[in-house]
Amino acid sequence: MLNRTFLWLLGAGLSAGVVFAAEPQVLPGENPHPIHLVRRPVAPLSAMAQLGRQIFYDPSLSSSGKLSCSSCHSPDHAYGPPNDQSVMLGGPTLTRQGARAVPSLTYLERQPEFAIGPDDPEVENVNLAAMAAVAKTATRAQKTATQTSESAANMVPQGGMFWDGRANTLQMQAAVPLLDPREMDGGSIEKVAEKLRHAPYVEGFTGLFGKNIFRDPQMLVSEAMFAVARYEIEEPSFHPYTSKYDYWLEGKARFSESELRGYILFNDPDKANCGGCHLSQPSADGLPPLFTDFQFEALGAPRNATLTDNRDPQHFDLGVCGPIRSDMANQTQYCGMFLTPSLRNTVMRHTFFHNGVFHTLQEVLDFYNFRDTNPEKVYPRAADGTVQKLNDIPVQYQANVDVSDPPFDRHLGDTPAMTAQEEADIIAFLKTLTDGYKETKLPGDQ
Amino acid sequence: MRTKLLSTVAMFGVAAAVAWSGPVAADSNGNGPDFGGHGNNGQHGKGEARTATPIKHLVVIFNENRSFDHYFATYPNATNPYGEPAFKAARNTPQVNNLAANPLLLVNNGNYTNTLNDPNEANPFRLDRTQANTADQSHAYTAEEEAYDNGKADLFPKFTGSGTSGGAGAFGTKGQVMGYFDGNTVTGFWNYAQHFAMSDNAYTDTYGPSTPGALEVFSGQTNGAKVVVGNASTVSDGAGGLTLNGDTDPGYDVCSSTTSQVMMTSKNIGDLLNAAHLTWGSFVGGFNLQTVNANKTTGCKRSTNSAIVGTVSDYVPHHMWFQYFTSTANPTHARPSSTEAIGYSTTQDGKADPANHAYDLNDFYAAVKAGNYPSVSYIKMPAYQDAHPGNSDPLDEQQGLVTLVNFLEQQPDWKDTAVIVTYDDSDGWYDHAFATPTSSSFNATADQLNGPGVCGKGTQPKGLNGQPVNGRCGPGTRIPFIVISPYAKQNYVSHERLSQASVVRFIEDNWLQGERLGGGSFDASAGSITDMFDFSPGKRDDKLFLDPSEGTVVATAPGKSQGHD
Repeated sequence: MLNRTFLWLLGAGLSAGVVFAAEPQVLPGENPHPIHLVRRPVAPLSAMAQLGRQIFYDPSLSSSGKLSCSSCHSPDHAYGPPNDQSVMLGGPTLTRQGARAVPSLTYLERQPEFAIGPDDPEVENVNLAAMAAVAKTATRAQKTATQTSESAANMVPQGGMFWDGRANTLQMQAAVPLLDPREMDGGSIEKVAEKLRHAPYVEGFTGLFGKNIFRDPQMLVSEAMFAVARYEIEEPSFHPYTSKYDYWLEGKARFSESELRGYILFNDPDKANCGGCHLSQPSADGLPPLFTDFQFEALGAPRNATLTDNRDPQHFDLGVCGPIRSDMANQTQYCGMFLTPSLRNTVMRHTFFHNGVFHTLQEVLDFYNFRDTNPEKVYPRAADGTVQKLNDIPVQYQANVDVSDPPFDRHLGDTPAMTAQEEADIIAFLKTLTDGYKETKLPGDQ
Repeated sequence: MRTKLLSTVAMFGVAAAVAWSGPVAADSNGNGPDFGGHGNNGQHGKGEARTATPIKHLVVIFNENRSFDHYFATYPNATNPYGEPAFKAARNTPQVNNLAANPLLLVNNGNYTNTLNDPNEANPFRLDRTQANTADQSHAYTAEEEAYDNGKADLFPKFTGSGTSGGAGAFGTKGQVMGYFDGNTVTGFWNYAQHFAMSDNAYTDTYGPSTPGALEVFSGQTNGAKVVVGNASTVSDGAGGLTLNGDTDPGYDVCSSTTSQVMMTSKNIGDLLNAAHLTWGSFVGGFNLQTVNANKTTGCKRSTNSAIVGTVSDYVPHHMWFQYFTSTANPTHARPSSTEAIGYSTTQDGKADPANHAYDLNDFYAAVKAGNYPSVSYIKMPAYQDAHPGNSDPLDEQQGLVTLVNFLEQQPDWKDTAVIVTYDDSDGWYDHAFATPTSSSFNATADQLNGPGVCGKGTQPKGLNGQPVNGRCGPGTRIPFIVISPYAKQNYVSHERLSQASVVRFIEDNWLQGERLGGGSFDASAGSITDMFDFSPGKRDDKLFLDPSEGTVVATAPGKSQGHD
């Protein structure tokens, strides 16, 4: 663990232009306590992963003939959406809006299964309803960047794929956009299987599964989706851990003054407190940080009026409790909750939050900064001039919204957590989370 | 035969009654075996324990949750896709009772044709090496009976289909319970089978999950359960007592669940070994609560990160055979007084050794390296290597197993060692080889094999108190059973019917002149494993070193095989 007080001092010294002279001696912006990060060894793609790569890039599986997995999960955009639209367009003529902003496919290889409370691999039969019942009486630790081990034990929804956690494996995840009429619109299992039987990579199936696989459409599509998942597991660009921040942790890169200030603000419970949920520390096993605690939160992002679904004033996307996810509909204490995403490569995105309502990191930080102190800066006003705070969550579920974890513990008229300069510094820090960092010389380097 | 006196001593707490067995050559009757069993450590006794066969050291590696067909369905034919460890069988490989020998079961299986499985009907199918991480299947006592469907073995998808999903990279599909691995994934197992001996006719003693299996391999008995806390997974035995037929943590173990605990009241093989002053131990990954793992975890929460299944707690209380019996438990996980005391009931100065024969897996490596190699060692790998789907997988399992076997093969005492690798249960994975019950049970709800309340025919087996009891229906499901030893027959497949209690029987036959536990233990009826051995005279230097990650044969032992880290 990094010593927060020490870093505070280091940051203060740097901003004042003073040479900081404490043990250990480090250059400005250098990590005073470098660590070793464990990265998985890279091996050639297996036959399964090679098959998966071909499926991942195959647009013929969509009804339009134009969409493949890679259309929305663009390899040039950290396997996230390639444009600044709130949601991507799909369907037979590429005119239907998807339900939600497209999440990145990177850094899911360590995503735990959906559970209420910490995932326990030795538990053989997961009963979500029973877990939710236990969770109702459990105390919840406040989430701050300095006590993440306490909040990790919170009995709250966590893990899974999609904004609502409804898929537990990459294989299950891959099948959903393939069949979603608003996305690839593959039609049916049988239809997809028929295309796979005639795909140019058909021999990839025969070699791994034998000819019998073609007799069973469900099995064929399962194997195909597993192959996609395996590609995402094996292909290094889905989880490279080559950001400036990774190298900084290892003592191989130095922060600029702004990045360092941003890093400190990110982890300061009295300021942005981003690190309370977007954990910036490596795992106990030495694996690089994922910048998520995998938990779900109801933050109350503003309604996105550009979504066709939202033309219906009675339509509310409530995440864990539905309507897309169906098995937790009765757990209304989770209405409005969405998965906390990784912040790695976040500057490669141009659409943020589940409904894609924000398009710049500045807007996102303003939301955290002003939601409670100056809600008029975040939410629209009604005809009568009142600010429509939490306008995308029905009144009866607004109690689910997080008002305990800083900076969301502030009140109307309080001083916001961050100044404009501090927001800019945090964004500078977020830019260090982009993969593919190439070393550059900083002033003071030998 | 053992005297009645010794049995009585065993029942009254051996630790207090038996002195440090090292320097003493025989028990007070003068008819016990020589102790020590450490030919290379002169200060302990005058030689090896007296044994019926040349085997002086038995190492039982008790893994988790795989059926025989799940690992050997197409043995010895592997698919050998591009980039995977290849397997090619020796020409003289014998045929085994698997799916390759019954090819119709591969393409027109009852689990595919029986519409009751809808929508999860499936034929058996190959799981690829990249699919080593699978969902966990259901393996409850009743579910397994139902899957065997009066012997038709055609309701696996319906009754033992998948439970958990297994993490982000896991594979899951409909009818997954029909999946099997081949020699490109369980490569090490296939290579051991090629070079040593295995059984294609070994079963769990009863239907059901881990805890019953753990009890069978140690005591041959699941009757005589005594609930300590909460609702143990027991069934009324019909004679006023309880039979354990599900998973429950052992009573009083500091790592056990606080809401459900059980103890057993029968005798076990440890009691007999203690009475005979033989060295033995249980060696368990994660047992030493003082150890701090690389990831800083310690105590009951010690954990290890696997690239395949993620971070998993090392110690699983409901797998610990010895913790269910007062006479062999070490509920506080107390440490042995010294490495020299490992395997013994007492310390050098004659006091009861705190560990009471229960140690960490690392203690096994340390003791063997120090020349203190117990006669009988039961091994449980840390959970990520125990093979249990959901928290382990065949590749992590292979890493743990091969590392240990490579290590043993480099010891001077390998020459008279036998390693048994077998399993606590089948996990519910499909296996075509139904065994007609030889132990019946007629509990109205738990038993469903031949119809409601019926599993098998005839009188139930006798329980602890000599009355016929319910809850012990078996044989249950078929499991792998491999013997790795210089004395194992080469590339041999035994068809003798075995069960987990055959391990108990071998220990009794080899070290205890055939003494039996009594009280209805299955050791009395279990088959003998001696068909897998060739004890005829001759030079014995038979080692097979494998690569722990690939499972492929290598000429010399890989470097880091001196420890289990």
